[in-house]
Amino acid sequence: MLFNTVNFAVFLPVVLALYWLVTQRNLKLQNVLLLAASYFFYACWDVRFLALLIFSTGLDYYTGIKIHDARGKKAKKFWLWLSLAINLGFLGIFKYYNFFVESFADGIALFGARPNVWLLDLILPVGISFYTFHGISYIVDIYRGKISPERNFVNYSVFVSFFPLLVAGPIERATHLLPQIRNKRIFSSAQFNDGLRQILWGLVKKVVIADNCGVFVDDIFSHSDTYSGSTLVLGAILFSFQLYGDFSGYSDIALGTARLFGIELLRNFSFPYFSRDIAEFWRRWHMSLTTWFKDYVYIPLGGSKSSKWFNIRNVFIIFLLSGIWHGASWKFVCWAMINALYFLPLLLANRNRKHLEIVAYDRMFPTPREVWQMVATFMLTVFSRIFFRADDVHHAFAFIKRAFSESLLTIPQVIPTRVLLLIAVFMVIEWTGRRGGYAIAHTFEKAPKPLQWSFYYVLVFAVFYCSNSGQQFIYFQF
Amino acid sequence: MRKTAFKLALFLSPIFLVWIAVETFYRAVPNNYTVKHDYMQANAREIGTLLFGSSHCFYGLNPKYMSGHVYNLANISQPLYYDALLFDQYIDKMPKLKRVVFCIEYSNLSHVPGTGEDDFRKYYYENYMDIDAGIVSAFDPKKYSLAFTRSLEQTWASYERFDYFGTIVDCDANGWGNNYPKVYRYKPSYNVQERLAAHEDGSTDFSANLKRLENAIARCGQRNIEVVIVSLPQSQLYTAGLNRHKLELIYATCTRLSGKYDHVRYLNLFEDRRFTDEDFFDADHLNDVGAIKCTQIVEKFLVK
Repeated sequence: MLFNTVNFAVFLPVVLALYWLVTQRNLKLQNVLLLAASYFFYACWDVRFLALLIFSTGLDYYTGIKIHDARGKKAKKFWLWLSLAINLGFLGIFKYYNFFVESFADGIALFGARPNVWLLDLILPVGISFYTFHGISYIVDIYRGKISPERNFVNYSVFVSFFPLLVAGPIERATHLLPQIRNKRIFSSAQFNDGLRQILWGLVKKVVIADNCGVFVDDIFSHSDTYSGSTLVLGAILFSFQLYGDFSGYSDIALGTARLFGIELLRNFSFPYFSRDIAEFWRRWHMSLTTWFKDYVYIPLGGSKSSKWFNIRNVFIIFLLSGIWHGASWKFVCWAMINALYFLPLLLANRNRKHLEIVAYDRMFPTPREVWQMVATFMLTVFSRIFFRADDVHHAFAFIKRAFSESLLTIPQVIPTRVLLLIAVFMVIEWTGRRGGYAIAHTFEKAPKPLQWSFYYVLVFAVFYCSNSGQQFIYFQF
Repeated sequence: MRKTAFKLALFLSPIFLVWIAVETFYRAVPNNYTVKHDYMQANAREIGTLLFGSSHCFYGLNPKYMSGHVYNLANISQPLYYDALLFDQYIDKMPKLKRVVFCIEYSNLSHVPGTGEDDFRKYYYENYMDIDAGIVSAFDPKKYSLAFTRSLEQTWASYERFDYFGTIVDCDANGWGNNYPKVYRYKPSYNVQERLAAHEDGSTDFSANLKRLENAIARCGQRNIEVVIVSLPQSQLYTAGLNRHKLELIYATCTRLSGKYDHVRYLNLFEDRRFTDEDFFDADHLNDVGAIKCTQIVEKFLVK
């Protein structure tokens, strides 16, 4: 069940009505309802993988308690590694087995051998990368003594499976979400309205921006051998908007939906295209994954407190893992390594934490220097994402070679005027709302109601106008 | 909470009204599906030859140029899956049926129901043609509301067509598709890549559709109804871009069927060079001139 389908538009009000009207006075019942709704939501994808989700939940629930109750450090470590091995084992089998076996076989083939490899014909369970990371963070936090294990299985299951975040995040932390699940939620009309507003903005991003860009992106990338360099560059730019609209749109819908239930999720995007350097970009893009890697990999490796060379190594490890997390393919490794290389000069010059506040925070317009910085950062991400979007590494290199040919200076063969116009309007709204949690959080907040509602109607009709049978979200494949 | 609910209801009321208007449009305005369904309901008993297929057949075979009572039941993006369901629905209501024509093109033998660019049409078969498609979930809201099957932009385009032409029906009284975009007449090159991409599913697994076709052939055999399989002509630009291996497999499969059953014949016009660019309105669809030419060739074959 996709967020941008009629099915979800029916599912959500039904669950909400049961949640606030029927089970409101009983927290336990409310959580059971959330869990049942979440499992139903997941089963709509593929009921077979529900068993895997439940197993993974049960495993972490059990090992979490075992880690906490274990007397010695050795026993704690045993349960921790058992949980990690099984969690990562599932992820490895479903997501990476074929990639590593094929890569190994290709490597051996370089020396003349032709090994017969046994590949698995497996479908990737939706959301496995996300709920596995939920579970790992929970287990590691218990091991570190940051939290106590959740003894109520329903509560813990809701933490892992809460349907807004189940299939594509944000990657939650037990320290943030579990207390909200344990405690009674009180209906707040301000929070409810805010949730609806954020859902609407998420739908605009997905349906109006991402899906419209996607039509041209698919065409340009699948016929990259026939288009001119300028068209390919335009395709890569459009892909960046598609990816942002798609993923941050999903996150907005997830955050908004959770808010309707009185639950606040971690923020996942903070206007990344207004970043002035690549370090700022990565603090603003897929924030829940970035901070997850920081807390559970980067800091344990020594973080920035070790020597410069170790620090550089750690950054490369983080980007490498982030690349592999996205998918079992060398193209994601290339994408990650390019980003690590972008990051390197900032790290060496100790300038990676220069821009912490949103650009032009206390001004209406950016300075010319800031404009240049934002455009340059954006174009760097556009370039790296050619690898992200291409079919494979060969396709990416062929794409780049053709993009930077003589035809780069010609007029693009495809000029999606309407899409470009939509992007321009979208970016203006994003700019004006950049100080809020999401772009329209405070738009027309103090304006008369008719004006405010008119603005929302325009957005609603834009969504209906463009919506075409629920296009898949890009991040569902991860 | 009540105040919020009231405000929300108030906000949603205009949207609800638009939904009602769109739903009314989809339910009240006749379209290809409703007119074909109505025709079959009224005339099934008299039909002697029934044509099945996708848009190639819809635009390519004009019953007016065929002898006897012929009806074109093909439709845009109609795969063999729906051909078979329609066949099952009507076969027992057609005592005078002597011949069935199945048009086989590049993608319909490998087509998987519930996939492809025009998957939304499954709701139309259910709602307009009383077919239990079997691939629409009972929990799918689109099964009950056609307003959700298309975007507002597409609905608006349909409405504009209706407003301008007074109809959104694309076929004549015999079911032949006569309303193609005339601006593209004689320009098969303009959408070759797009059509090729839309039709290439990369599969050569014909088993499921072959089973459907053979079931229909067997039922026709029991009723002494002749089955004619026709591969309709496509433009040279289009055929040049297809997977040759798959194409040969399709020819071989159809030829094998005609050899296997006495009451089955196969006519392959797919790469027939009697058809030139002048006969197509796009890469793979015949225009009105091409349709007459093609129908006359098919008619000659049928009466042979």
